[in-house]
Amino acid sequence: MTAIHTDALTRRFGDELAVDALTLDVAPGEVLALLGPNGAGKTTTVRLLNGVLSPDSGISRVLGLDPATQGTDVRRRTGVLTENAGLDDRLTARENIMAAARIRRVPDADRRVSTLLDQFGMSDRADDRVAGFSTGQRKRVALARSLVHSPEILFLDEPTSGLDPEATRDVVDLIGRLATDHGRTVLLCTHFLGEAGRLADRMAVLDRGHLLAWGSPGELAAELFGDLTVDFDLGSPADHELLGRIRAERGVRSAEMSPAGVVTRVEDRDAVPAIVSLLTAEGRSVFGATPRPPTLEDVYFAVLADRGEVAAPPRVSDAALWAVADSREAMP
Amino acid sequence: MTTATDAPPLGTTRWPDWTAIGAVMRKDVTAIRRAKAVVLPMLIVPILLMVVLPMLIGAAAVNQRGPDITRLLDSLPGDLAAPILELPPEEHLVVLVLGYLLAPLFLIVPLMVSSVLAADAFAGEKERRTLETLLHLPITDRDLFLAKVFSSVIPAIVVSWAGFVAFAIVSNTVAWPVMGRIFVPTGLWLVMIFWVAPAVATLGMGVMVRVSARATTTQEANQLGGAVVLPLIFLAVGQSTGLLLLDAPFALMVGAIIWAVALWLTARGARRFTRDKMAARS
Repeated sequence: MTAIHTDALTRRFGDELAVDALTLDVAPGEVLALLGPNGAGKTTTVRLLNGVLSPDSGISRVLGLDPATQGTDVRRRTGVLTENAGLDDRLTARENIMAAARIRRVPDADRRVSTLLDQFGMSDRADDRVAGFSTGQRKRVALARSLVHSPEILFLDEPTSGLDPEATRDVVDLIGRLATDHGRTVLLCTHFLGEAGRLADRMAVLDRGHLLAWGSPGELAAELFGDLTVDFDLGSPADHELLGRIRAERGVRSAEMSPAGVVTRVEDRDAVPAIVSLLTAEGRSVFGATPRPPTLEDVYFAVLADRGEVAAPPRVSDAALWAVADSREAMP
Repeated sequence: MTTATDAPPLGTTRWPDWTAIGAVMRKDVTAIRRAKAVVLPMLIVPILLMVVLPMLIGAAAVNQRGPDITRLLDSLPGDLAAPILELPPEEHLVVLVLGYLLAPLFLIVPLMVSSVLAADAFAGEKERRTLETLLHLPITDRDLFLAKVFSSVIPAIVVSWAGFVAFAIVSNTVAWPVMGRIFVPTGLWLVMIFWVAPAVATLGMGVMVRVSARATTTQEANQLGGAVVLPLIFLAVGQSTGLLLLDAPFALMVGAIIWAVALWLTARGARRFTRDKMAARS
């Protein structure tokens, strides 16, 4: 049984299509990143899956239950971290979590809440009103609240938005542990690609309600990038003449200058020895040849660019690279 | 994997879920107690109406500085004036004002308290951006609505009754030199306390539920809902100027009408109180 299944799930707000025929599956214990810009439909998807919104058409199943008709039963088994922490400023950290624990009928709630506050490093602020808390502290309390009943599925909506780098790292580490150590299914809505890249097994790219791409970063890269990127470290940028010769080699699709030498896109790895031979013959020292798999960012922007949603990521101009190289040489 | 809760088995959701309702009420009441902007008006108005005002009137009556109300009593309908005219003249002012004229003013207390609390409970969740968190919890729409209703109406009734107890103590104490006996509560007051005040509290809440569906802040909800206070102020002014007079049977009828309107408003509010609508607006 899949943890989450949707088939042509659709929801409109007036004339606006918030989620458009969304079809996906999430396996138990999997971390799925829902990626997309603001207004992509990520939050609406979570609301639909947790029975907060009803779909206009299509179906969804969460742990085998229909959120549209069994919403309360679904919500008993899921935990949600909303984009804003959603804490009542007038209550203490403990009271905020206890309220959720009571509604969820968590046994031995006092001890459970204390344990969570301790785990999230909030014991010393447990009985302070959250009005004075930083964004990071609020997120930690809200995350503790979402876990108070040991949910089988976690919906995390922008868990690191508004956090400083240190707090971001802590939260990302924590989510990673929840997935790997505790086997929880996690649906991670974010527009931060770094955390998605670290945490997600698969990613779904949404834009204006449409599912643009879905799969593991590797699968999507193979689909979108039929070639291999290789960085050649020559110690200094290649000149235009050398770039032209590299481009003329068999199997080379492109060759661009980089601060350290040249970045090539080749059909496959068989092209690499020929390029190394050429460079050596041209009297250039080759300090390294490093295959560079596409990053999640490459994949994300390629998906959007492929569908005409955004322009391809800007490339650094040759002139800019030369300026960087010149400034390096000028350094003492 | 099992969940660490003792929630009812799937598909056997009980209604109402008093545990969940109680948890939401407890959260709301705890939060309200710490909100000075909400608590102060809830204390000041009842203290003015139920303590300060009877003290001043009682003091005036005791010192015989009050206005001569014989003409006023003569102009009242016989049913209302007769029991007062049977009393010694020095008791007329005390009994008329404390026993009858203040009764409609007292209704401002349950109305105001329930309105303020309902605005906080419904519109306030949106303003504080805590609504969505609540919607993601395993509580049905009906139970959540009930919890919010109880969080508004029950404290309003408790405050009203506590205010009335204070009123009765103050009135009987300050008027003792004149009356020499306990004269409050009168029959009218009992009807007001146990029949009309809960109806008015429910009415205030019912109006606020409707208003809060569209308001985004408690201030906006209070401003929009303030219109409901006006008819009761007119009622109070009418009573105190002799235009409109309440006796116990009439108060029973007025209470029945208020109950009908309040329950109609509440039922309509409940039908519109759905997660989908709230989430779509948030």
